[in-house]
Amino acid sequence: MTENLPRSVIEPKNPRLNVSRNANLPHVPGIRVGPYIFLSGMGPIDPETGERNHGPIAEQVRTTLANMQHMLESAGSSLERVVRVHVVLADLADMPDMERVYREFFPIDPPARTAWSMQLRFGNGCEIECVALAT
Amino acid sequence: MSPRREVIVASPRPRDAGSSVGQPASTLVRGGDFLFVSGLAAVDPHSGERVRGTTAGETRQILANLKQLLEAAGSSLDKVVKVNVLLHSMLEAPNMNEVYARFFPEPPPARTVCGARLPDGAKVIIECTALIQ
Repeated sequence: MTENLPRSVIEPKNPRLNVSRNANLPHVPGIRVGPYIFLSGMGPIDPETGERNHGPIAEQVRTTLANMQHMLESAGSSLERVVRVHVVLADLADMPDMERVYREFFPIDPPARTAWSMQLRFGNGCEIECVALAT
Repeated sequence: MSPRREVIVASPRPRDAGSSVGQPASTLVRGGDFLFVSGLAAVDPHSGERVRGTTAGETRQILANLKQLLEAAGSSLDKVVKVNVLLHSMLEAPNMNEVYARFFPEPPPARTVCGARLPDGAKVIIECTALIQ
């Protein structure tokens, strides 16, 4: 079934959102294998400056999901094609604020999701990753 | 050919506490040749109410529900390829494992276990990726 699937790197059209390259981290933003798209965990990066956005958690989640949308669209996919999401929060108490913003991005037929809280790097309030299908 | 995306089981919870719309996650989504199951907390399948028990008890309830979910979708526990288990305390890992080992036929799927802070007072959350049938 998967023996000859091509594997390619996904990069954002906005180079400021290529966090792993800009920070010299040993991973890529995402990998496409055949029709499957696997994105790395994404944090709240301001798409205008490339700096981290450490504002209120709702803003961080909105920035992160907007960046995820950009990453998927750069790969020829979209939020509507996401099948599974991991949402990690630094603070479990931020769950209701996260939910409120999350719904705006996945209003109908949302993907499968697991959300929890654990320590995050760089002072990020959230980190979000997904698996999606190509269109 | 564009791979198929289909929500097979929508959220079982009609309302989230403090919110007017349903939980923004589907329980089981098909993507291409795979099924993606949301992180499941222990829920009584008849009443839909959360079950609050020991780590072993919650694990048993979750895996029983997972088995049913997968079978209703035409898959099964022996088609699971990857499991993520989140525990409220890694000290509970042996208690989870004892129950877990009884559910999956040999060879069991790939798995990651980690300790985390879990929503709604859950002691265990389990999610998985499986092959369709």
